[in-house]
Parts: sequence; structure tokens; C-alpha cells
Amino acid sequence: MSKLLEVKDLSVSFNTYNGEVQAVRGVSFDLNEGETLAIVGESGSGKSVTSSTLMGLLPKPAGIIKSGQILFQGEDLVKKSEKEMQKIRGKEISMVFQDPLSSLNPTMKIGNQIIEGLIKHQGMNRAEAKKKAIELLDQVGIPHPEIRVNQYPHQFSGGMRQRVVIAIALACNPKILIADEPTTALDVTIQAQILELMKEIQRNTKTSIIFITHDLGVVANVADRVAVMYAGKIVEIGTVDDVFYNPKHPYTWGLLGSMPTLDADNEELYTIPGTPPDMLNPPKGDAFAPRNEFALEIDAVMEPPMFKVSDTHYAATWLLHKNAPKIEMPESVRRRIEGFAKTGKKGGE
Amino acid sequence: MNKTEKILEVKHLKKYFPAGRKKIIKAVDDVSFDIYKGETFGLVGESGSGKSTTGQTIIRLYDATDGEVLFHGENVHAKKSRVEKLKFNRKMQMIFQDPSSSLNPRMTVLDIIAEGLDVHHLAKNEKERKERVEQLLEAVGLNKEHATRFPHEFSGGQRQRIGIARALAVEPELIICDEPISALDVSIQAQVVNLLKKLQKEHGLTYLFIAHDLSMVKYISDRIGVMHLGHMVELADSDELYKNPVHPYTKSLLSAIPLPDPEYERSRKRITYDPSIHDTSEEPKFREIRPHHWVRCTSKEFEQYKKELGE
Repeated sequence: MSKLLEVKDLSVSFNTYNGEVQAVRGVSFDLNEGETLAIVGESGSGKSVTSSTLMGLLPKPAGIIKSGQILFQGEDLVKKSEKEMQKIRGKEISMVFQDPLSSLNPTMKIGNQIIEGLIKHQGMNRAEAKKKAIELLDQVGIPHPEIRVNQYPHQFSGGMRQRVVIAIALACNPKILIADEPTTALDVTIQAQILELMKEIQRNTKTSIIFITHDLGVVANVADRVAVMYAGKIVEIGTVDDVFYNPKHPYTWGLLGSMPTLDADNEELYTIPGTPPDMLNPPKGDAFAPRNEFALEIDAVMEPPMFKVSDTHYAATWLLHKNAPKIEMPESVRRRIEGFAKTGKKGGE
Repeated sequence: MNKTEKILEVKHLKKYFPAGRKKIIKAVDDVSFDIYKGETFGLVGESGSGKSTTGQTIIRLYDATDGEVLFHGENVHAKKSRVEKLKFNRKMQMIFQDPSSSLNPRMTVLDIIAEGLDVHHLAKNEKERKERVEQLLEAVGLNKEHATRFPHEFSGGQRQRIGIARALAVEPELIICDEPISALDVSIQAQVVNLLKKLQKEHGLTYLFIAHDLSMVKYISDRIGVMHLGHMVELADSDELYKNPVHPYTKSLLSAIPLPDPEYERSRKRITYDPSIHDTSEEPKFREIRPHHWVRCTSKEFEQYKKELGE
């Protein structure tokens, strides 16, 4: 698989009245053609800032890219002007946002909202574009597209609106689709439909997807690879099986352990104590150390580099250093993961 | 758990809202269930199912259109004097979804938590009031130094803890938790759920837990009711409901929960709910298909579901 996007050592800060908030602190990852990379993290972990930086949508002048490169097909997006970005945005890289109601224009017919991009990027005339818009609506599973194309957003339900947003994002056959919590505002049954739709579209168009979410269940469903973010850094990255069945970072252990399973076990949920750090003054050393029951002395002094677990799997924790004491994941988390593997083999009933 | 003592009985509860000149929205349409002392009753459903309206009508934030809510055998919606209302309010409390909009930003944490104490005259003097609040703060995992601060100084999870302390202040018997963890991060959700469980054990509380996150509801609840378009479609012990769902809507809802297990997700088969498969020859009723397992169905469907269950 060839690399479509390479993010190298990206750091983004925001200037606020209180000082500099270091939202993203040295993030590096690749995106291969046709794959889905999920970025998971809690609020404030920098996952959404990372995605808006890729799109060139950082709020100006508060948001500043401090360092790093975003290489898309060999070109550095960080160096591009707003005018150049406009040619890429929507055409090469497009985005689906969390709330479909606020990302659609309430005063425009949805057909016209889809057509905008087609006319601008593909040089189509109105009639052609409208035909294509109807096709797109059909493709995302909206019934009676020829009628729906002339309706306004308020005439659609939440799930249907999100389909419209996906249709707009797909209009120009982008190479990368960034989906920022696209199903968080939807009900579970609708969420399942939208996830299936996105997977089907990916099979047909080979679009690469960056899927940003905090829901590990959704990640397990859609992702090929997973990057776990904490306090502006990627702390663990690997294939979905690496991260869910063989997690190495204590933060990932905590995330997996804090979700209840459907098997009847009434034991207490494993929790990560405390709250995420304030990114105005990120702690010295490993940012997760204050909440980490397995923290070593070195965690307070020096940030851990990325240790290699396997060719696909990396984690930033000193526990993987060859001199570190041998610490296994907590018993309750291990049992849970074994439970996962079991239900998985049952074939999901 | 004492399965015999009913703390709350909801009987044929209806709540209609007028919409426009002639339309009415039946948000809650003939819902009946009981809650036993000391248990956690989970209420799940998607948006628009009427689960929150049910909770709000039970605590009398809304007046019921029809039906009864009996708390310890007393009708909540009957005409009441101020004193009776006060007595009732003390026994039933609520925790809300959004911890930032449910706390007054101009009040200190001390005053927010003590408001109930003031209303019910539970603290004799300023010193006792402060001590009680500090006790509550510690019970929910905060420090007593937090008492002088304002809500905006806290994170989402901490604010939800303040909301829980406020509900606990008047020593209620029943707490209605309306999506108390939906707005929180995953790692914080587990903290709050563990806290709710701990408090339940210590204070012998009864919870009505309303949520759309089915895996969390399964984890915390003893029994679960599934709501769909204002009706209760199925009610059973939580293990029974997840192992042997009967109503097609429950099946579709359960099959849609994403689990943090890639193998399971790869092989998952989703069941879609098609309302047209229902038998329309008669009005569906709530029937007991197995002991303590109820489902809304017609008599024909009842026989069919029974066969499916192998009874």
C-alpha cells in the first residue's frame, strides 16, 4: 500500500488570554491508500485540532502551526496559501462534521449545496451538476433523490442529514475523507446505518478515511488502524487488532477497561483516576504519568519516545524500555480483552 | 434486593403535547412499570422514544395527561398542599444530563449543594450546613476546598459529581438519572458509574437510570425497560433482555450497539426493525411472556414469540 498522507512532527498551539495552549504536540502518522485510520481520544486530546489542521481550517490568528509537515502526495500542506488550500479542500480532502444540522446551510436547498463543489472544482454546468447530485443522493441511500434534491435541511431527519453531508463530501471523489465524530449525534441504529454506508462507499471508491471519535466500539467497527491520542500526542498506534487485543500503553488499558461488556459481570469498572492535564501548562515528562498507576520515576522527568512493538505497532511508554520492570496490564483489563476475543470468535451471534 | 416492596408504580402513564392547532404528540403513551426498593431500573430508547419525558413526568416536572404515578402508594400527581409537595420533593431527586447547564453559574458549590438543605431546613446553623456539604463533597470524591469555588472551575466529570452531591443532600430514596453520563468522556463515565453504584450500596438508593448507551445501562441496571415511540415495548431483567430479546425493535437496538471488539464487529449482523411486520388485527398489549419478562404484542404475536423462546 502506498502512503497518501504523511504527517510529521506536527505541533499546533492556540494563543489565548491565559497563554499558549499546546493542543497538538509532535504528532506523526501515515495514511495509506484505501484504509481507515481512527484517531481516538478524550475531549481536549487534540484529535479534532489535528483534523482541522489537515484541512487548513485552523481558526486564524489564534491557531498557529508551530512545527511539522503535512505531506499530501509529496506536497507540504502547511506551506500552502489559503487560495491554494481552497483548491484542495473539498476536492482532494473533504470533511464530515459531527453535527449535520449546523454543517448544512438552512436557507439553501440541499441540491444547491451539493452542486456548489461540483461547479467550482469539476467545472460542470448546472444541469450536469444537478444530475450528479441526484446520483450522489441515491448513492448515500436517500430514497426519492429527485424529489429530495429540492428540499431544505429541516425536511430531513438527523440520519438523512448526515447522509447529505456525506454526499457533499464525496461529490468530487476526494482521496481523503476526514470524518470528525460523524455519528456521535445520532441514535445507535442510525449510527450503524451510517457506518455501514461509509464502509460501502470506501469499498467502491477506495477513499482513505480518517475517522475521529471517542467511541471505541465505533473504532472496532470501522478502523483498519488506530491512533490513540492523549494530551496532544499519539501514545499508541497500530492495527485495530494490535491496539484492542494487545494494548501496550497504560492509557489504552484504561480506556478499554472502562467500557462495560455485555457479558454479565458486575465487577467494578476499571477507571483512570483524575482528569486530563491542562494544556496551558502540560506537565513535564510523560503527560499521562499523574494518572498512571504504573508510572516509573523517569516518567516525571523525560517524555517516553515511541517504542516499537511490532512492524505495525508502536507505543510511547517507558514500560516498553528494555530496562523497565516487567509490568503486565491489570487483571481486570486482561480478562475483558480475553472476553472480547471469545465473543468475537462466536461470530457475533 | 427486596423484590417485594414497590417504591414506585407507574400506571398507564400518558403525556401528550399539543403541536400546532389540531395535532398532538403522544410523547408517552400508556406506559406502566414498577420500581422496587433498592434496584436500578434502566430505561432505554432512541431520541423521541419518550424516555426522558417519562422521567420528567414521574418527578412532576410535567403534569401527566392521564394515568397515575404512585410513590409509596401515594399519587404524585394528585392535588397537594405545599407541605406535602415539599415532603415528596425530598424523597425523589434528579440528576441531569448536562452538568454545566444544570448548575447555576453564579452560585458557589457550597450554595448549590446546600440549596436543598435550606429549602427543607435540614441544617440548624451555618456550621452544620457547611459540615454537611463538606461531607457530601467527600462522598462524591471531591475535596472540601472545592466548596468555595464556582461551577466553571470544574471539569465535566467533576460538575456531574456536584450534581450528584446536590441530589444526595436531602437524603432521597429515589434518584432519577437522566442520561447522567452521556456528556462525559469514556474514562470519566466509568468513574461516575462506579460512584453511583457505591452510593447506592451505602445509602440504599433506588435509581431510575435513563440512557441511550445500552452497554452502560446493561452494566448498571437490574431490570431494563425498552421504549419506542412513547410505548414500553419490552421489560425484563437485564440479563434476560440481552440474552433473549423478543420484540423485533429490541433485537434491532441490541444488534446496533458497537462493541470494542474488532473480531465481533467484523462478523456482526445487524437486524433492522421493520414496523410493518407487526400484526395489526388488534391493539397490542403488554403481556408477560416469561416470569418477569414483558413484551408489547397482540395475542397472535404472543403465541409466536413464545414459540421463538421455546416455551
